[in-house]
Amino acid sequence: MLGERPRARGVPARCHCLLLLQCLLLLRAPAGLLGDQTRRVSLEVIPEPKDPSQNLLHIRAVGVNSTIHYIWSSLGPPAVLFVATDTPHSVLSINWSSLLSPEPEGSLAVLPAKSVRFSSALIFPRLFEFDSTNSSEVKDGSPGKPYPPYLLANFSWDDVNSTLDPTMLSATFQGRPSKDPLGAFSNGSLAFKVHAFSGSGRAAHLPRLLHTADTSQLEMVLSGAVPQGNHSLFGLEVAIPVLDSECPQLKEQDSIDDEYCPSVFQLAQLLWHSSPEGFLQWRPVAFSQKQPDWKTAVPCQVSRPGPTLATLLPQSRIVIAFFGSSVNFCTFNLTFGDSTGPAYEDQRYLSWSALLGIGIPPVDSFSPLVLGIMVAVLGAPALLLVGGGLSLLILRHRRYSEYEPIS
Amino acid sequence: MAKEGDGERALLAAEPELSEPGPGAGTGAQSEAESVSGAGASPLSALCDPAHLAHRIVALAFMCLLGFGSYFCYDNPAALQIQIQEDMQIHTVTFMLLYSWYSWPNVILCFFGGFLIDRVFGIRWGSIIFSLMVCIGQVIFAMGALVNAFWLMQLGRFVFGIGGESLAVAQNTYAVSWFKGKELNLVFGLQLSMARIGSTVNLNVMGWLYSRVEGLLGYSGHTTLGITLMIGGVTCIFSLICALILGYLDWRAERILHKEQGKTGEVIKLTDMKDFSLSLWLIFVICACYYVAVFPFIGLGKVFFMGKFKVSTEEASAINSIVYVLSAPLSPIFGLMVDKAGRNIFWVLCAVVATMASHVMLAFTFWNPWIAMCLLGISYSLLACALWPMVAFVVPEHQLGTAYGFMQSIQNLGLAIMSIVAGEVLDLWGYFFLEVFFIACVSVSLLAVVLLYLVDYTRGGSLNCSARQRVELSKMTDTNVSLESPIPSLPVHCGQWWLLLFQSISWGRRTASCSRSRILAWP
Repeated sequence: MLGERPRARGVPARCHCLLLLQCLLLLRAPAGLLGDQTRRVSLEVIPEPKDPSQNLLHIRAVGVNSTIHYIWSSLGPPAVLFVATDTPHSVLSINWSSLLSPEPEGSLAVLPAKSVRFSSALIFPRLFEFDSTNSSEVKDGSPGKPYPPYLLANFSWDDVNSTLDPTMLSATFQGRPSKDPLGAFSNGSLAFKVHAFSGSGRAAHLPRLLHTADTSQLEMVLSGAVPQGNHSLFGLEVAIPVLDSECPQLKEQDSIDDEYCPSVFQLAQLLWHSSPEGFLQWRPVAFSQKQPDWKTAVPCQVSRPGPTLATLLPQSRIVIAFFGSSVNFCTFNLTFGDSTGPAYEDQRYLSWSALLGIGIPPVDSFSPLVLGIMVAVLGAPALLLVGGGLSLLILRHRRYSEYEPIS
Repeated sequence: MAKEGDGERALLAAEPELSEPGPGAGTGAQSEAESVSGAGASPLSALCDPAHLAHRIVALAFMCLLGFGSYFCYDNPAALQIQIQEDMQIHTVTFMLLYSWYSWPNVILCFFGGFLIDRVFGIRWGSIIFSLMVCIGQVIFAMGALVNAFWLMQLGRFVFGIGGESLAVAQNTYAVSWFKGKELNLVFGLQLSMARIGSTVNLNVMGWLYSRVEGLLGYSGHTTLGITLMIGGVTCIFSLICALILGYLDWRAERILHKEQGKTGEVIKLTDMKDFSLSLWLIFVICACYYVAVFPFIGLGKVFFMGKFKVSTEEASAINSIVYVLSAPLSPIFGLMVDKAGRNIFWVLCAVVATMASHVMLAFTFWNPWIAMCLLGISYSLLACALWPMVAFVVPEHQLGTAYGFMQSIQNLGLAIMSIVAGEVLDLWGYFFLEVFFIACVSVSLLAVVLLYLVDYTRGGSLNCSARQRVELSKMTDTNVSLESPIPSLPVHCGQWWLLLFQSISWGRRTASCSRSRILAWP
């Protein structure tokens, strides 16, 4: 059922016919494991029974015959585990004492295990900062001289309970370094805003990614932290556990349509190889103001995902608990901004959003307004040409028939 | 900015005799001056002799440079769009107000520019005063950036607009005054080319200048922007100096040759409006809808090229300026071509279709933007040469001034409004939608062209007749349609290629119909 699904690839510039075909195929596809129009979404904070400050955020999105679980945790570096099952009744089981022990393997599972069709995770181990003032380095494509990175495993995170909004289906993990000798984060914080969706739609603010019930949105916000240099660039490391040695594939697509995110004609996607495929989708921009505006957008560069030794990464308990300790990792880096243009220190604000989901990544299509205008624009002159030509023909016929008796 | 040049050129070319000097004064004084300078005059004395070609060329150099400052500074905002929006912290809509404020005064001034020069200031003081306005406007504009007050920048553009368009009128009046009946077409061509060069130099230099100032100051911000704009304003001072020198030369020539001061010959009567034909209104629609899809796009294009086609800032500027670069050499060539071939509607149709194609390419493909922009440059030049002279065919000569004034006014009104609308569209829906919007504008223009052809055809007009047919017409009706060449350089049938789709007609009959119906139309 899943293997038959057509593979969507965003909005390729030259393949709109294909896109249409895909849409048609999608419409025809039977309601399968994923692709539900709506889901019942619930957000729940699961506390450790003895110490409620240790907790997990569990987002459960139940469809007709499938469930997607997103499990967010700040035990260790911030991480999200996402699991799709082919039953609406799958549940999350946690053995807290084992999870917090030195060997947490197997302490977290989605049951029944047989129903799991896809599982993966994202871990955010480090926040990088670069000095981009050295122009010679910048030209090489490197973001600049790196400062010592912030290890997010050493951050202390606020209680997620206080930010939980069950109506908006959102929650925020906000943290700052536990030890901050330079005081960089005395007025600042790093936040991961999590947003789940019960249906498809589009956020009111940029980058206005199209979301469906099969996706959830993650927004990273760095605000108020004092940069270490005059023109600092920030970067985020992302790690993905892989069972084989094959890393998810990074696809950067061009799109002619920037209707929803003005002046951004690219869409980046990280695609897992399995079926159903997981994906992370984002516009290659970040925003340097609280009110995102395309003029304050900064470019977001991404490196190719490559395999990394697990020992080089801080361990995430939930990832080990779910996948075991023998898992391999792939990492890639996101870098926000460049040596020219708007920078973080202008407003001391940086936000970057991405969609995390399972199934077919949502694709933008032309809005009805654009289609309507195009039809009118191309149709009207054509009609006039035909109509005018015909009336001319008749007119000419009449005129000459009038002349005929004279000649 | 280029557009009013086109208009003036067409206006003046259509009625060159209006600026003739006093009867007999020119020829008499000229022969006198020639006899004074004598056959063995040295090159230096030739340069100083107002009756001599060498002196006129010196004056021509100053005439061309007279407009350089205003053409250079007109597109300062386009060249520095990113910097202005960042330094002044403004949205695109607000940014586009800079262009809008330039156009507003000209909605009205188009009617009065000629009047002010003829009746109030005179050509010499007129050009000096308008140059001064341009300088003051640019200085206010730059001051606004220096003190971080965007309203002051807008005021600067308003003042700049008051001077800019009228200065173009003054420039053309000088050209007629000095070159009437001699090298006038070439002179207009050269002045237009200079205008394009001014715009091009600006688009390519201002960004570089900004980064140099930024390097010197060590930081960017509104101060950097202000200083950059002030330096850009030097070109206006330069033009003012040219206006002063030209004023002196003209005054001297008047004294030596006893000629009259140049006049625009514009007689504008708003009551003429009620007599405008449907054809003329359609020409206005073509003009307004076409130009709003060109100038606001050039004003916003740089970021588009960088974002969609991933070109560097420098290349984006170069792509943006190719329209102006191309139209510098192409304007005279196309002018000559349309003069020789006639068939104005066909050329306008070609230009509009090509413009639409270029916008479609930019919107729907990732093809190299150079292709689309070159096509835009070519079609823009072609349209200017084919559209503006058409007015002379549908309006009696005594209403030409009003018709051209009105056309420019509508165009400025269109630009003023559409600059704002385009900025708003961009902020809300992005460049793709903006391109679709421009395609819609060009499409309205296309509709109007097709309608114009139908109206002209049914009323037996001569808009799409070849040059030969027009000459025949003017002979038969003994009416001067101001066309010299009897040799059409294009096959007679090229104007109706698209009609072939619907009907097969014999070219002989077409020609006969064109002349016959035209004769019937004349009382």
